[in-house]
Amino acid sequence: MALLELKNISKIYGELKALDNVSLHVDKGEWVAIMGPSGSGKSTMMNIIGCMDKPTKGEVLLDNVDISKESSKHLTDIRRDKIGLIFQQFHMVNYLTAVENVMVSQYYHSMPDEEEALEALGRVGLRERARHLPSQLSGGEQQRVCVARALINHPELILADEPTGNLDEANENIVLELFRQLHREGTTLIVVTHDPEVAEAAQRTIVLEHGRVAREIINENFVD
Amino acid sequence: MTKRRMFLRMITASLLRRRSRMLIALLSIGIGATILAGMVTIYYDVPRQMRAQMRSYGANMLLLPEDGETLNSEKLANTLSQFPEDALVGAAPYRYVRLDMTSRQQSFTTAGTDFEQVLKTSPYFSVEGEYPSGTRQVLVGKEIADTIGVKVGSSMELTWQPAVTASTGDPSDDWQPGAALAGSAEGFGGSMVSVTAKLDDEAKISEITVDASTQTPEYGGRTAEDKPFLKQFIGKALPLEMGGDIDALTGATVTSTAVVEALNTSHAAAAGAQPRTVRYDVTGILVTGGEEEGYVFMSLEDMQSLTGEDKLDVAELSVSADEEQLNGYVENITQSGQGVTARLVKRVTKSETAVLGKLQALVFLVTVVVLLLTMICVSTTMMAVVSERRREIGLRKALGASDNSIRVEFLGEGMFLGMLGGVLGAVLGFVFAQVVSVNVFGSSITFQPLLLPITVIVSMAIAALSCLMPIRRAVAIDPALVLKGE
Ligand SMILES: Nc1ncnc2c1ncn2[C@@H]1O[C@H](COP(=O)(O)OP(=O)(O)OP(=O)(O)O)[C@@H](O)[C@H]1O
Ligand SMILES: [Mg+2]
Repeated sequence: MALLELKNISKIYGELKALDNVSLHVDKGEWVAIMGPSGSGKSTMMNIIGCMDKPTKGEVLLDNVDISKESSKHLTDIRRDKIGLIFQQFHMVNYLTAVENVMVSQYYHSMPDEEEALEALGRVGLRERARHLPSQLSGGEQQRVCVARALINHPELILADEPTGNLDEANENIVLELFRQLHREGTTLIVVTHDPEVAEAAQRTIVLEHGRVAREIINENFVD
Repeated sequence: MTKRRMFLRMITASLLRRRSRMLIALLSIGIGATILAGMVTIYYDVPRQMRAQMRSYGANMLLLPEDGETLNSEKLANTLSQFPEDALVGAAPYRYVRLDMTSRQQSFTTAGTDFEQVLKTSPYFSVEGEYPSGTRQVLVGKEIADTIGVKVGSSMELTWQPAVTASTGDPSDDWQPGAALAGSAEGFGGSMVSVTAKLDDEAKISEITVDASTQTPEYGGRTAEDKPFLKQFIGKALPLEMGGDIDALTGATVTSTAVVEALNTSHAAAAGAQPRTVRYDVTGILVTGGEEEGYVFMSLEDMQSLTGEDKLDVAELSVSADEEQLNGYVENITQSGQGVTARLVKRVTKSETAVLGKLQALVFLVTVVVLLLTMICVSTTMMAVVSERRREIGLRKALGASDNSIRVEFLGEGMFLGMLGGVLGAVLGFVFAQVVSVNVFGSSITFQPLLLPITVIVSMAIAALSCLMPIRRAVAIDPALVLKGE
């Protein structure tokens, strides 16, 4: 069953077609990797799926709702309820502690619950670092906090834009392991990456070039 | 944990953990609030202070006897008791009498007054030497002192001449040699016999007229016409002795005795009003540059013992009140039925009101300007805060913050700062006003309890207003652009 359906979407900036007539179908529970050279439109696509941007043309169906026509206020509601975001630059609120950063996500979603937030940090192996400020955490630890924050509201879809781009081998493996867990729990994952190793962890890889889907690779070796 | 607690936790974390930036905002609000609180305190306190100050320009109210009435110490005391204690700065009574300095053949208007009160009602008086502090001491106006050449430490003899001839009650401005004596006494059958007499320079009788129309014409009635009988009186000094100085008219003993008695009684009454001369020490020379320099001043007690009467011509009051209150006091006094009228010294009252009005307008203007500057300052700081926190705002939006959440969070931070700044400002502002008051007016002020809530509310309002532009900018931040990685 389709969770996400992109139908011939284009995003045009003046002369530049950041996305050019792209179609994509992602099933519920699927794990998809998106690759492509720099400037090929990966982030543009993620922003559209993440309800932070609208396509110039085409339809985006998320849970059978056409989000390309929604008002930005509605898009915020949808993003909050359905989507967990992880960014390359592991954005954190720099004056809030790790656990508070996780709670911010709860705060906008429903109710802040410190216990639950601590549990989520436990899942990413940072329970003891819960009271630390971002400046006291390493890049890898910060990214793990961001993963905890993305999963705290149990979103149907997790969008990760180069989540391991700035991480070393060890931290990359921790994050990938977390993705595997989430996948097993039935969460749909869309992960943008330059790293073939990260892409190989997914079930399917979409390769973008010049705003178009250049090819699609099914991972035969995927182990559930 | 409730949403509200998380909200407060985020705001306090933002304020506490991003101290330097927030301190600038807090400082600007705090300074604004300080000046606001200080100005408000001064605005309300200055009229009181200034009024007290301006009382140094002299009396602003006069108490006078109503037509046909007289003013005395008792009536004055009764009238003054109608004023609230703190409103009455001073009340100087004045009794003006013309005294002769026989040795110089001069006469001066002399004022009997209360020097302690004069110090309060006419603080601009300047005295070379000292104010009189004991009896038989005078303060001499500079003009007089120059004319007659008296100095501090010298003395002068002043003579009081009764202004009213004895017992007739007829006022005549100057007592002259040859003033009349008049009196009456019980004659035959209890009817009254009236006598008038004139005295010469040596106080001896020079003329006598008897009205014995109530007596039996053939007996007592003859005293009015009998030349030998009347002639006995001429050239004699009073009092007269019946049988010694004067022999009774035959057959009219009772009436003759009444004539002598009438003269003696009126003489006795007049004796109390005889000219009196007292020597006074000059303790000081009064320099005012005004007409007071042409007066001699002595204590009211000295004046009373010289003239033998408790009478006042006017009282000068210095009242600390605004024009409206002053008019109210005037009304009360006039209606109190004491026979006393009050009059405002319009020139003083009007200029006081005008000066205070201008001062308050100035303070108001300064306050408004300062608040505007504060607003610009806070607004600029918050603007900087917003651009500094673009990523965070974008992140919050990406995490699902609605535009309203962003607004509420910034407004919350702003108003929290406003509250802190307001409390800080109320306290510092009071200290500021206190320092100004002590240095400028030399008196302290009391803390107005209302000052705290007013300052806090105004500061919060200013902070909220200052946040409007920055908030608009924060709401406009596009999460996609921010998160794309700048
Ligand atoms: N707001 C914008 N205005 C104009 N051009 C834009 C805008 N956003 C993106 N682009 C352009 O669209 C193209 C696609 O950008 P996008 O960020 O999606 O690339 P990407 O695949 O994520 O690249 P990278 O791997 O470097 O992150 C780029 O050429 C970029 O310059
Ligand atoms: Mg990108």
